[in-house]
Amino acid sequence: MRITTNRFGRIDVDPADILHFPSGLPGLEGCRDWALLADSDNDALGWLQSTTRGDVALAVVSPRRFVPDYQVRIPRSELTPLALADMRQAQVVVVVGKTDTGLTLNLKAPIVINLEARTGRQVVATGELSMQYELTPQRPPLKKSA
Amino acid sequence: MLVLSRQRDESIMIGDSIVVTIVDIRGDKVRLGINAPTEIPVHRQEVYEAIQRENLRASRLEPGDTQDIGKFSGRSNNGQAHPPEGPRR
Repeated sequence: MRITTNRFGRIDVDPADILHFPSGLPGLEGCRDWALLADSDNDALGWLQSTTRGDVALAVVSPRRFVPDYQVRIPRSELTPLALADMRQAQVVVVVGKTDTGLTLNLKAPIVINLEARTGRQVVATGELSMQYELTPQRPPLKKSA
Repeated sequence: MLVLSRQRDESIMIGDSIVVTIVDIRGDKVRLGINAPTEIPVHRQEVYEAIQRENLRASRLEPGDTQDIGKFSGRSNNGQAHPPEGPRR
């Protein structure tokens, strides 16, 4: 199917690739069907594009790539609707936001996608996690002196 | 708003599938047990509203805003597919 988007122009999406979020997303409850697009400039970044609203897209990343010590714990009741047979079927991404000072990640409310069933849900993770985790440049690991 | 008085271990029903039970009362804190079908998300209101605000703010992000995100990324994903394959823009 072809969808018209504000950011990426017209794109073709295979209906089999569409991700269904039965509850929508908080604040975007009406957006239940999404396509996950790879960003052409940055392989660390994806865009969840609503297939019904061309103006709605969320930038998402794999959190471990930016926050290596991020350990996500999600209550079982939050995962039950996704009917995951195996956690290896699950893809966890977090939403990228922007404040006056820079880019942020919502670590408190990751999005869990069941890759087999093509369903998804934004969940609330357990513990003290920021909804506006500020990204800071990662320093390359220091080389040990010889 | 409908206001009902309940004691510990008593419940109310919302529709025929949601049961809210008063589990414990201590001082000004009430612990609630909620039984609801899995398709009905249950959230603390302030948390839900904060996520709503974050999502709405994030939905205004443009590709130009994220150009430099690569410099925040610490390592490659060791060949793991990410993001999952989808159409490239």
